[in-house]
Amino acid sequence: MVHRRYKEKGIETVFFVTAAITVLALLFICLFLFRDGYLLFETSSFIDFITGDAWYPTSTPARFGLLPLLFGSLLVTAGAIFISVPLGVAAAIYISELSSPRVSDFLKPFIEILAGIPSVVYGFFGLVVLVPLIKELLGLPTGQTALAGSIMLSMMALPTIISISEDAISAVPLSLKEGSLALGGTQWQTIYKVVLPAALSGISAAVILGIGRAIGETMTVLMVTGNTAVIPGFPEGILDPVRTMTATIALEMGEVPQGSEHYHALFAVGSVLFITTFIINLIADKIKKKYKLKEGL
Amino acid sequence: MSEMGSVDDIKVEDLNLWYGEKQALYNVSMKIPKNSVTALIGPSGCGKSTFLRCINRMNDLIKGCRIEGKIHIDNKNIYDRDVDVVELRKNVGMVFQKPNPFPMSIYDNIAYGPKIHNVKKNEIAPIVEEALKGAALWKEVSDRMDTSALDLSGGQQQRLCIARTMAVKPEIILFDEPCSALDPISTNKIEDLILELKKDYTIVIVTHNMQQAARISDYTAYFLLGELIEFGETKQIFENPQEKSTEDYITGRFG
Repeated sequence: MVHRRYKEKGIETVFFVTAAITVLALLFICLFLFRDGYLLFETSSFIDFITGDAWYPTSTPARFGLLPLLFGSLLVTAGAIFISVPLGVAAAIYISELSSPRVSDFLKPFIEILAGIPSVVYGFFGLVVLVPLIKELLGLPTGQTALAGSIMLSMMALPTIISISEDAISAVPLSLKEGSLALGGTQWQTIYKVVLPAALSGISAAVILGIGRAIGETMTVLMVTGNTAVIPGFPEGILDPVRTMTATIALEMGEVPQGSEHYHALFAVGSVLFITTFIINLIADKIKKKYKLKEGL
Repeated sequence: MSEMGSVDDIKVEDLNLWYGEKQALYNVSMKIPKNSVTALIGPSGCGKSTFLRCINRMNDLIKGCRIEGKIHIDNKNIYDRDVDVVELRKNVGMVFQKPNPFPMSIYDNIAYGPKIHNVKKNEIAPIVEEALKGAALWKEVSDRMDTSALDLSGGQQQRLCIARTMAVKPEIILFDEPCSALDPISTNKIEDLILELKKDYTIVIVTHNMQQAARISDYTAYFLLGELIEFGETKQIFENPQEKSTEDYITGRFG
C-alpha cells in the first residue's frame, strides 16, 4: 500500500517537473530577450528605436530604426492575410459543408502535409519558381518582393486557417442548418447567412492564429523578399523588396560581436516580435474561449 | 372538429423509406385533412419523426436515405422530379424538438425567412409583427426586438421558432415533439397556440405525450416499427381503438 502511494506520488512529481520545465524555458527566454534588448537603450534612445525610419546598423553613427522592419513585416503579413483568408475560409466551407466525406477524407491529409513542409523548402520553391514568375509577369526589376513573401506565407498559413475554420464551421449545430433549410433556405443561403455568422468567432481565431504564424516566419521570407530595409509604401510597396523583423535577426545575428550595440538592437527587435506574437496569440485565445462559451448555450 | 372526408391536404400513398439497408417505414398510406391537427404517436424508433420529415423532404439531407411512394400536397407529388424543394419547404414549415433560434436578434430571426425569399424590405416589418402576434409572443418581445434571440427562455424561443415559420406563410406546419424540451407552463402555451393555428394551417405533430395528442389533435396516427397501425379521429383512437397494439400503447402497457 505504502509502496504504491510513493509510486503514485513519484509519477505525479515527474509530470509536474516536465510541465514546470516548459514554463521555466519560456520565462528564461523572456528574461534574456528583454534584458539584452533593453541594454540597447543604455546607448541610444528608446524613441529613436521605436520611431526611427532607418536601419543602418553598420554606418557611423549606426542607426537602429525599427520602422522599416516593422512595416516590412506588417506589409508581408497583410498581403498574406489578403490571400489566405478568402482561400482558407472557402476551402474550410467546401470541406465541412459541400464535399462528400470521400473527398474531404482525401483532402484533409494533404492540408496537414502542407503544414509539415519545412519553411526552407517553401523558401526554395519561392525562390526558384515564384520569384522569377513575378519578375516576368509584372515586368519588375526583381521578383524578390513583399508580394513573393506574402504568397509564400499565405500558403504556409493556409493549413492553420483551414483546419481551425473547418472545426468552427463543423461545430455549428445541425439544428441551425435545419432551421434555415426548413424555412426554404437554399444551401448557399444557409451557409452564408446562418453557418458562417455562427462560426465567425472560430473563423476569426483561425485567421489570427494564421497571422501569428505568418508574422513569426523567418526562413521563407528571408529567401524571397529581397531584404531591403526601407519603409515600404502602401499598397504599392508590395511590389518592392522589403525586410522583415525576423529576416533581419536571422541575417545579422551571425555577424555581430556579442554585446555590441548592434547585438542589443537585434534583441530589441526580437522583443518587439515576441510581444507582437504574444498579443496575437492572446487575442486568438480570448476569441476561442468566447466562442466555446457560446457553443455551450 | 372537421369531419373525416373533408378536403384532404396531404395524401400519402405507399410510402417506404430505407436508411441504407435498414427499412424504417413500411407502406404508409394516409390522408391528412386540411385545417386540422393530426398527431403522430408511437414508441421511440417507430418511424413517426421519420415520417414527419418526409412531408417537407428534410430526409433528403440524410445520406443513404431512400424513399419510395408518393406524398401529394395540393394534388402534386412532392417526390416528383420537377419539384423545387425550396418552394416545398416554404409551403411546409417545420418546428423542431429543441428550439433552434438563429444566433441573431429577435427581429432578424423572424425576418430571415422573408428576406431569403426576396420579400421587399418595407414589407418585412409588418410580417414580423404579424408573425410574432400570431405566435403569441409579440407582447413579450415588442420592446426588445434588437436583443439576441438566445436570451429568451426555452418556451419563448420555441414560440419564436413558430413565428419564424409563420413568417414565410406556409400552408402546413410540421411539429416534431415541440414541447419535449419545455416546462409544463410553456407546453400549455404552445398547445393553446397550436389549437389557434389550425384555423389557418394544417398541422401535423409528433408527440410522445399521449395526453397532449388527446388534448390538441383531431386525428391520431399510431405507428409501430415503421408501420402505420391505426389512423382515425382522435376520439375514436383513444376511446375505441380497433387494434390491440394501439390499445396497449395508449393504456400505457408498453412504450
